[in-house]
Amino acid sequence: MADHKISDQEFDKFAEFFYRKTGIKFEPTKRYFVDKRLAERIRETQSESFRQYFTSLRFQASGEELQRLTNSLTVNETYFMREDYQFRCLVDSMLPDVCERHDPRKPIRIWCIPSSSGEEPYSIAMYLLEEWEGINQWDVELIASDIDTQILQTAQEGIYSERSIRNVPAAWKRRYFKSVKGGHQIDDDIRHAVEFTQVNLSEASDVRKIRNVDIIFCRNLLIYFDDLSRKIAAEHMFEAMSPGGYICLGHTESMGRISPLYRVKKFPAAIVYQRPLEAK
Amino acid sequence: MALKKSSSSSVQSTPEEAKDCNQIRSDLLSDDPAERRWAARDIVNCPGATLMLLDQLEDETDLTVRQIILSSLTRLGDAEAVEGLVACLRSEDASLRNEAIEAMKHLPKEVAPIMATVLNDPDPDVRIFAVNILESLCHDDVEQWLISVIQDDEHINVCATAVDLLGEVGSEASIDALTALKQRFDEEPYIQFAADLAIKRISED
Repeated sequence: MADHKISDQEFDKFAEFFYRKTGIKFEPTKRYFVDKRLAERIRETQSESFRQYFTSLRFQASGEELQRLTNSLTVNETYFMREDYQFRCLVDSMLPDVCERHDPRKPIRIWCIPSSSGEEPYSIAMYLLEEWEGINQWDVELIASDIDTQILQTAQEGIYSERSIRNVPAAWKRRYFKSVKGGHQIDDDIRHAVEFTQVNLSEASDVRKIRNVDIIFCRNLLIYFDDLSRKIAAEHMFEAMSPGGYICLGHTESMGRISPLYRVKKFPAAIVYQRPLEAK
Repeated sequence: MALKKSSSSSVQSTPEEAKDCNQIRSDLLSDDPAERRWAARDIVNCPGATLMLLDQLEDETDLTVRQIILSSLTRLGDAEAVEGLVACLRSEDASLRNEAIEAMKHLPKEVAPIMATVLNDPDPDVRIFAVNILESLCHDDVEQWLISVIQDDEHINVCATAVDLLGEVGSEASIDALTALKQRFDEEPYIQFAADLAIKRISED
């Protein structure tokens, strides 16, 4: 079986193309990871060379191969406290800003989509309880959505492996998890505080159910969509948000390449996107 | 104060009743941009949606509503929608032109049949915008369209735009046309430079 070695120039060409298509930027430090998957796809599509593969990747009308390659270049694993610098940004920057103009009689709403098996909404819940003083003054509603009803059920059960909770500080583990058959279950109060609901982000009627959200975490989801679906999903989230609300994407994603509806907001801990205050 | 289960005001358990098309058409003209945005989404299932959206696009000043109209037109993707988007290339409004170019990039199959016509438009600016559409259009004929431009178009700026793109997407099939272009514009330094660069890049691949 031919071993397709990717040259420096081919890597640069591919990385630039892939970045434009997905917003995912691969630095040369990721060469091994990228080269290996590119070589696999070249072999599996029976392309004779990188050049032939790249041409079909670029011009295939259905975009099917680009999707396959994207899937192989993205890691689906999720775990507690993943990309937790955004949680730091949440408590240090986004929430204080939201609270400044928020009606104190109304709860602050945070929406996680995709919920996946619940690690992200529960991480946010713990982070708020442990790291945000404002939790003593404000009510916070946490909504977690996914298209997959099975995974929502798993999320509601809230039982996790040791590996999944490996990044949770020891004191938090003691406080918020109990040992059960099959792993560690998140505290009942937290589990019951999160509203799990099925939402297909591509469906306007689904997104209509969600309103007045102050902060959205939509991380590592849009990279799986094609360009138009990604734009429509971003437009749907725009409707779910209050003016001035924030959206956090995965660290490899960029709203600038998806939709012009949002403004970039650079906070010390993270770059996030804001629905302009004046956008009615 | 604490974490709370969300109230019915944030997550509705039952969907709103679907509006009829007359109501949606009326909402598209509402003073409230949010109502216009939802109408621009909902109208895709109504008869005559494309023309209504195109009419509204012409008058719409709110950029958020325009984005939704363009997404809906892209979703509809019919001949009328494509024709309407092409018409936007002649607009004096640069944002609208760019938005139309972006929208058309999502419609490779639908734009392909009219691409030759747009690339031969009497207005060189429209031809340049057509080349801009090719930049991210996922279609097998992109290189051939660009070759046709550099073979036939008499306007230097149109050719220069096409050459720049060929340097990125061209293959050996473009070399002869690039060489011929250099001869056709043998006193234009930019064409000499851009064509040489494109040939060099293609030869390195």
